[in-house]
Amino acid sequence: MIAIKRSNQFYNFVSIAGVLLLWQLVVSAGLFGKLVPSPVAVFKEFIDMLQNPIGGRSLFMHLWFSIKRVLTAFITAVVTGVPLGLFMGWNKKVDAIVKPVFELLKPIPPIAWIPLAILWFGIGETPKVFICFVGSFVPCVVNSYTGMRYVDPLLIDMTKTFGATRRQQFIDVGLPASLTAVFAGLQNALSLGWMCVLAAELVGAREGVGYIITLGMDTANPAMIIVGMLIIGAVGAAIAVIVRRIERIVCPWKRGITS
Amino acid sequence: MTSKISCQNISKTFETKSGPFEVIRDISLEVKENEFVVLLGPGQCGKTTLLNIIAGLEPPTTGKIFVDEQEVKGPGPDRGVVFQKYALLPWRTVLENVEFGPKIRGVDKKERRELAREYIKLVGLEGFENAYPYELSGGMKQRVGIARAYTNNPKVMLMDEPFGALDAQTRYFMEKEVLRIWEQMKRTVIFVTNNIEEAVYLGDRVIVLSKLPSVVKAEYVIDVPRPREYTHPAFLEMRHLIAEQTELAL
Repeated sequence: MIAIKRSNQFYNFVSIAGVLLLWQLVVSAGLFGKLVPSPVAVFKEFIDMLQNPIGGRSLFMHLWFSIKRVLTAFITAVVTGVPLGLFMGWNKKVDAIVKPVFELLKPIPPIAWIPLAILWFGIGETPKVFICFVGSFVPCVVNSYTGMRYVDPLLIDMTKTFGATRRQQFIDVGLPASLTAVFAGLQNALSLGWMCVLAAELVGAREGVGYIITLGMDTANPAMIIVGMLIIGAVGAAIAVIVRRIERIVCPWKRGITS
Repeated sequence: MTSKISCQNISKTFETKSGPFEVIRDISLEVKENEFVVLLGPGQCGKTTLLNIIAGLEPPTTGKIFVDEQEVKGPGPDRGVVFQKYALLPWRTVLENVEFGPKIRGVDKKERRELAREYIKLVGLEGFENAYPYELSGGMKQRVGIARAYTNNPKVMLMDEPFGALDAQTRYFMEKEVLRIWEQMKRTVIFVTNNIEEAVYLGDRVIVLSKLPSVVKAEYVIDVPRPREYTHPAFLEMRHLIAEQTELAL
């Protein structure tokens, strides 16, 4: 027996290759008939979708539509939700006014807003962006709020001994101390927004990744559905990586803690 | 730039769910200009609370504090505090932490940087200006804390068990450093500790507080000549005297 030290990349590769192999074997054995396409068939479908328009638009246009919706909603949610959460965490009065309403609305799943959104805004872009906004808004508020509430009181005391005003305490300690939690919130907000866009697009859309999946269902093309799903997964993962990169640039003092 | 402190009949009772909790009972003390006073007491006593009251971070239940005849109404830059847990801003470099006081006062960047560098040099942290706190050892962190307090040019220094979290070796070394800095930058100092040896080594005067509710139990003028040696007979005698009379463990 020769013991070989394998790198983690090796095991990562084994894991993915193993799943693909298992998938191929299950399909080749014909356990599920035609409803489960093989990995090879899915890959072929992917190449086909890259070359031919789907429902009149290229795959990248569909992707762009979804991303645009998520980003519009995300930016709106960050601009409104982060300050709201921070002020709730900082100021007890703001907290007392906003919290009861927020706590009531928070547990409602964003998807539950779809019927209202369609009634209010019709079937254009607005209802889809609205659903994503609802999804992104909650983590923005919750994380900013929690981040601010957990600011070390010792640091606040320290600033007081230097005669810092309430405003200086907020800017010099409150904000930077909450930044890590805010970033975790942004990460959640983007993932949730990305999930919501899909749900919104499943209901009455002519474009977007969600539309591709519905089209796959309507045309009984499971390979197309799976390509859509994999694209969602890949984009979601890419989003997480990008946000983490940005966090490392904005919070350099975290490097020592995480690495 | 140095002051005298006067605490008059300070008491402090915290209201807790299980009823009132008396921490300090009628403590009065006077600290002279440039004096190094040590508040010595067992682990659970009101010494940190008393320091916080003098710092203005905590209001006394009764009694008044005066710094140079000015009544203390809250925290302020005339009283520099060195915290046991350092209280450094983790997102700021050593230089940015040290210049915090002048920055709050609105001193312009060039001037406060210069000032900060001067005090970083004083505490022996040259070369670490751009390090973040997580890159520093406990002793170095407390040097930053000391430099930060001095940079703001306070009239009095309040030190709350600043070396409590350090290992014995670093502690001896830091005690020496604190004296060196104090002799260089004369200030009125109130230093809190639970360590008799540290108290005798540092203080002009040692005020012993009792267990809760804390009262002044005894007071010692330490006339062992400086620089003091831990093994000097007069030093050891003083240590034993305090230990015997206060039931504090050595």
